[in-house]
Amino acid sequence: MTNATLPALGTDSVPATAIDVRGLSKSFRRRPVLNDVQLSVPTGSVLGLLGKNAAGKTTFLKCLLGLIRPDAGAAILLGHSSWTLPPSIKASIGYVPQLVTHPAWMNIAQIVEYTASFYPRWNDHLVSRLLLEWELDESQKAGSLSLGTQQKLAIILALGHEPSLLILDEPAASLDPAARRDFLKALLDIAADGSRTILFSTHITSDLERVADSVAILQRGVIRYHGALDELKDSVKRLHITTPAPLTLPQLTIPNVLHTRLAGNTATITVQHLNPDLIPTLRRTLGATDIRTEDLNLEDIFLELHHD
Amino acid sequence: MPPVDLSFLVHPTSGIPIYRQLLDQIRSQILGGRRGEGEYLPSVRSVADSLQINPMTVSKAYSLLEREGLVELVKGQGMRVAAMRSSSRAKSDALLPLLEQVAATARHLSLSPEQVIKQLKPLLEDHTDD
Repeated sequence: MTNATLPALGTDSVPATAIDVRGLSKSFRRRPVLNDVQLSVPTGSVLGLLGKNAAGKTTFLKCLLGLIRPDAGAAILLGHSSWTLPPSIKASIGYVPQLVTHPAWMNIAQIVEYTASFYPRWNDHLVSRLLLEWELDESQKAGSLSLGTQQKLAIILALGHEPSLLILDEPAASLDPAARRDFLKALLDIAADGSRTILFSTHITSDLERVADSVAILQRGVIRYHGALDELKDSVKRLHITTPAPLTLPQLTIPNVLHTRLAGNTATITVQHLNPDLIPTLRRTLGATDIRTEDLNLEDIFLELHHD
Repeated sequence: MPPVDLSFLVHPTSGIPIYRQLLDQIRSQILGGRRGEGEYLPSVRSVADSLQINPMTVSKAYSLLEREGLVELVKGQGMRVAAMRSSSRAKSDALLPLLEQVAATARHLSLSPEQVIKQLKPLLEDHTDD
């Protein structure tokens, strides 16, 4: 096992907020994709960006990086507007796009060397180690690499210059379970010293639950939730209520309800910010014979936030 | 390489946050005497590495244990299991979630408090030859 793969960054050069997005909006052919998105990510955070297909994750990340110009609003990365990032700041950002294209005619060793030439700082030791651990053959031509291997290579290249901000778009999508675990471990190693910030989009909630300390849920171009993953799990609960007589919806007007399902004498209600006093109150007002509280994992919560 | 600590088990995809899973396990290990006074908890980094979870999650569990008075931070050494002062209070706190489940099931089965206590009593006393 290896420890401290990356040197700690000097605290003087790192702003307290790594990503600061204000009022970001973007439409494509008048179809709004991002609608007044606000997001502030403190330095050292590992943030998972979660959203359904077509929720706007990739557009958001591209606006964030200055690859797409937003219609309104701004993204500030490491203290600079992403549309006018100075080269020194660009050199401290790592990005793994969803679709990676390496020059097909180059072999892995050549691609590594070529990429390294763009950066003033390059960690040869880390790159060689990851190439070895992730079983990449340096003599293989990029054109013949599997999708998963291309993705691994892109991740290694993004780590090579020891970025203080790492942004990854669905990085684990093409990786097999073993490679995903290796990748998550690499992320944890990077995050370990608390000076580097990682933002990765995913729809694999279990990856996020393992490594992320916070989560942002993007829904139809709006950040629906942003906060600590622990707090989200602590605050969203599903109540299973059994009553002697069939229930009706008006009886169940409860604050912060995400979703309600009625079936005869039973109701299941998903509540955010559950107040513990609610349960005895419901027991009294509904004459409920049984109320059970169920903990929900991130996938359950994600689904409950997406009922229409 | 530090020895891998196999005494913790977490399910990242559970509805219970990982820090709370760790907190509950370590608390019951301490209260149950499986981690004695003066014993050091494994380092945050080694737990995070062996369980492949975010180190901040482990720190959070440790600092909550410290706030409960079950462990104490020794500068440069780590977290040490504290002397049991308020142990009976902490022990009954640890039992509370289980008792809540018992109470809920009893209500569900329409059992009276007396019936539950009557059933519980012999179970509590039937422990002498253990």
